[in-house]
Amino acid sequence: MLIMKNVSKVYQTEMVQTHALRDFDLEVKEGEFIAVTGPSGSGKTTFLNIAGMLEPYTSGEYMLDDVNVGKLSDNQRADLRNQKIGFIFQGFNLIPDLNLYENVEVPLRYRGIKAAERKKRIESCLEQVGLGSRAKHLPQQLSGGQQQRVAIARALAGEPRFLLADEPTGNLDSLMARQVMELLEQINRDGATIVMVTHDPELARRAPRNIQIVDGQVADLTLYQGVAGQTDRQVVGG
Amino acid sequence: MFLHYIDLGWRSLRRTPLVSFLMVLAIALGIGITMTSLSVYHMMSMDPIEHKSSRLFHPQLQTMDDGEETWSEDNLPYQLTYQDAKNLADAPYPEHKAAMLRTGFTLHMDNSEIRPFIQNTRVTHSDFFTLFDLSFIYGSAWTQEQADAASPVAVISEQLNQKLFGGENSVGRQIYLDDTSFRIVGVIAPWQTHMKFYDVNNGAFNSQEDLYIPFSLIAAMDINTWGNSNGWKFQNIRSMKDKRQSEIFWLQFWVQLDDEAAVSQYGDYLMSYMAEQQKFGRFNREQLEYGLRDVNAWLDYRNVVSEDNEVLVALSFMFLAVCLANILGLLLAKFMRRAPEVGVRRALGASKRQVFLQHIIEVSMLGLIGGLMGIGIAQLGLWGVRLTQEYYSPLATMDLTMLLSAPVIAISACVIAGLYPAWLVCRTTPATYLKTQ
Repeated sequence: MLIMKNVSKVYQTEMVQTHALRDFDLEVKEGEFIAVTGPSGSGKTTFLNIAGMLEPYTSGEYMLDDVNVGKLSDNQRADLRNQKIGFIFQGFNLIPDLNLYENVEVPLRYRGIKAAERKKRIESCLEQVGLGSRAKHLPQQLSGGQQQRVAIARALAGEPRFLLADEPTGNLDSLMARQVMELLEQINRDGATIVMVTHDPELARRAPRNIQIVDGQVADLTLYQGVAGQTDRQVVGG
Repeated sequence: MFLHYIDLGWRSLRRTPLVSFLMVLAIALGIGITMTSLSVYHMMSMDPIEHKSSRLFHPQLQTMDDGEETWSEDNLPYQLTYQDAKNLADAPYPEHKAAMLRTGFTLHMDNSEIRPFIQNTRVTHSDFFTLFDLSFIYGSAWTQEQADAASPVAVISEQLNQKLFGGENSVGRQIYLDDTSFRIVGVIAPWQTHMKFYDVNNGAFNSQEDLYIPFSLIAAMDINTWGNSNGWKFQNIRSMKDKRQSEIFWLQFWVQLDDEAAVSQYGDYLMSYMAEQQKFGRFNREQLEYGLRDVNAWLDYRNVVSEDNEVLVALSFMFLAVCLANILGLLLAKFMRRAPEVGVRRALGASKRQVFLQHIIEVSMLGLIGGLMGIGIAQLGLWGVRLTQEYYSPLATMDLTMLLSAPVIAISACVIAGLYPAWLVCRTTPATYLKTQ
């Protein structure tokens, strides 16, 4: 589904060149749930942004569903992102002026889905995250955990095949973090491929496959056999 | 999606009410000032007789001897001598033509309730009413027989008819101009133009005369002009008869020429006329010369809309530009503050084009609201202009064109001001803001 070959990302200023990713290689298969860990500044978020086509890469090749992302225009990337990718951010990134219904509606509008279909999907997704009765609430009227669930509902509404989560539990207490994680596991079981950046080793252990990024490269590739929660580890690469 | 963008724009304006108010105020002030000066300019430069202006011509004859100069840009006299005006008016060609001058009388009546007053009067041929498409409410123009006999007959305006006769059919009624009794033969409907384009010598935007009498009375009553008389050589003028036979320019003359062939033919006629007049010792020149301009060319030639007005319009547009510069600054600040939200929208599938469009629609809404408020300010401005001088009364108004132009100019101006901020915000890399929210 996702293949990155020798992908590099260099941030260039007048004085300094910073290599955020170096010859980054990764293949993500359909239906996987991958946890990406690594120290701060190692390039986890850069990888996630490039995977989500939120920023360009400097060199290498990135194929998403057999489409060479590097050859797409901005509009084509926006379309592809809208069609195939859902985002969950650490800071939730809900739009404060829009109520929950309207927040979940945002990606559907950009996809040009008709109002009746939008309504059906939004109500279903809000129900799925347990916030069906709060559709008219504004984000600031919710707790952090609830806001993150809205963000997940928004990511799900577009029925993405690929979910990118950047520390989705980073701003939540442990109880809410566990609830969000369970929700993500459920989504993965329902068929979505998930790549989750996290600092939390406990959450990372729950993902079937772990990747560690150090200095912009995949440092350790670990495959957990079986479903989330099992501890049978197998080191397959470094 | 368009309606959705309008909804988003409206929410955005409400989210920052003070900034929105300042921006709307800035555009409203800019548009108000601009539309005030532009409306006056528009009315001044409007074609005064649109359906016919290209068929009405004002002839000029170069009567002066070689070496003599006048102050027109092409050295042609603006007006005609009496003898030329009369000769050209009496000529069989073209069908419709009228010589004219402005004069005035003390108008009084056999009615003690109406006090005598000074009345501006136009002395002209009966074709005047045909040339300028004036319609009659009562009666008609004087007949050729009455003109030939220099009968004391008059056509009055609807306004004067209201003043003198309470709006009744006054045909056949008497008025006195100085000591002469005149009989009313017709009452004309109000002019449909704001400009006295047929005689721009003493204020092109003064109101038209309310009283018209036959041209033949100039000789019969020794009528002098209340307008300009311009001489170019010494002549001993002791009487009105001397003036009528002199080379002084003091009359206007208009002809109707329906096509290019007629214009060309009339030009040839004027050349023949001048050559003929040379036999009488006039037109002492090697090169005979004439001018023949239609209404709009004539108004340009006479600089009816002065450069001052153009400068004023330019200055008001500069003021609008200053307002726009302020709006641009406010928009930059407002839009860049919203960059994190734009980042989210981009991440959720919005293209740069969609983000750009959303912001341009928001600034268009600002322009629309500002433009509508600007119309109100412009109305205030025009009211102020009208208060300063009655002269401006018909000019300091907004016609439909100007009313529709105001929001269009406001929206266009706002879009121009919003292009850079909208472009900047749509170019933001979404990833930059997603982590920092």
